[in-house]
Amino acid sequence: MAKKILTVDDSPSMRMLLKSALLEQGFEVFEAEDGVDALEKLDGAEPDLVITDINMPRMDGFGLITALRDGRVRSSLPILVLTTEASDEKKARARNAGATGWIVKPFDRDKLGAAIRRVLH
Amino acid sequence: MSLLSSIQPDQMRRVTIAQGDSVASRDLDLIYTTVLGSCVAVCLHDSAARVGGINHFLLADPAPINGESGQLLNRYGIHAMELLINEMIKRGAARERLRARVYGGGSMRQGLGDIGTQNIAFARRFLANEGIPILGEDVGGTSARRVEFMPAYGRARCKSIQGMVAEQQPVPVSAPCGDVELF
Repeated sequence: MAKKILTVDDSPSMRMLLKSALLEQGFEVFEAEDGVDALEKLDGAEPDLVITDINMPRMDGFGLITALRDGRVRSSLPILVLTTEASDEKKARARNAGATGWIVKPFDRDKLGAAIRRVLH
Repeated sequence: MSLLSSIQPDQMRRVTIAQGDSVASRDLDLIYTTVLGSCVAVCLHDSAARVGGINHFLLADPAPINGESGQLLNRYGIHAMELLINEMIKRGAARERLRARVYGGGSMRQGLGDIGTQNIAFARRFLANEGIPILGEDVGGTSARRVEFMPAYGRARCKSIQGMVAEQQPVPVSAPCGDVELF
């Protein structure tokens, strides 16, 4: 059965680009536009992985990671951050919040695919 | 109160931007300026937050849309636009208030494919996807252009210029590219 990935980014173009790359690699994709939307979408769904941006309105990537790790059912869901941010400080913050990994935009399809497969096994 | 009435053009500070740049500012005394051949510059403005920004990019000539080159166009172009939007948002802009102006994309040399037109098409497609209205354009043709943009006011001026523009190579917008770190 295909693995399901929730992508979270406030740019429609970015979501389209990511979806195309993930579908090509055989994943199922559903999308959210920020952290608040992601939590709502997660309420009915069981993704195998979340890929999230950092800078988003209403609830950013840090907020989403924290909300997911703070308990309930999703605390072990792998979360990859995909962001233009490159600072060590932000990376450390994501790691401390419980992120599984950090990918710098623009993503490389092959590197992204390899990272996802590593995390899912 | 009109901010424009207090502008003293000879007291404005000019900052030249180059291919690969994505910058934004709220400074009232600032004019961004750039020269475009085949490259495209997108100017964004949020009038409520009084923030403006500009980028300048030349994306590689894509092969058919479904081919890898088509994806390269999207990936680096989206990145160039996202960098600009991020700079705007850091200074108080909101996505839903952004308005755009598009410049450049001229055909500078015969026989090299219509890279300028494809860059214009990318800019328009991206802005449409993002729901960002385009208030004005000065694109295409065979002349180089000089663009001047006042980011705080959102005012832009674009003039054709004579003579050759040193055409730069299409380059990816920035490195690092896709580096992955698993914690």
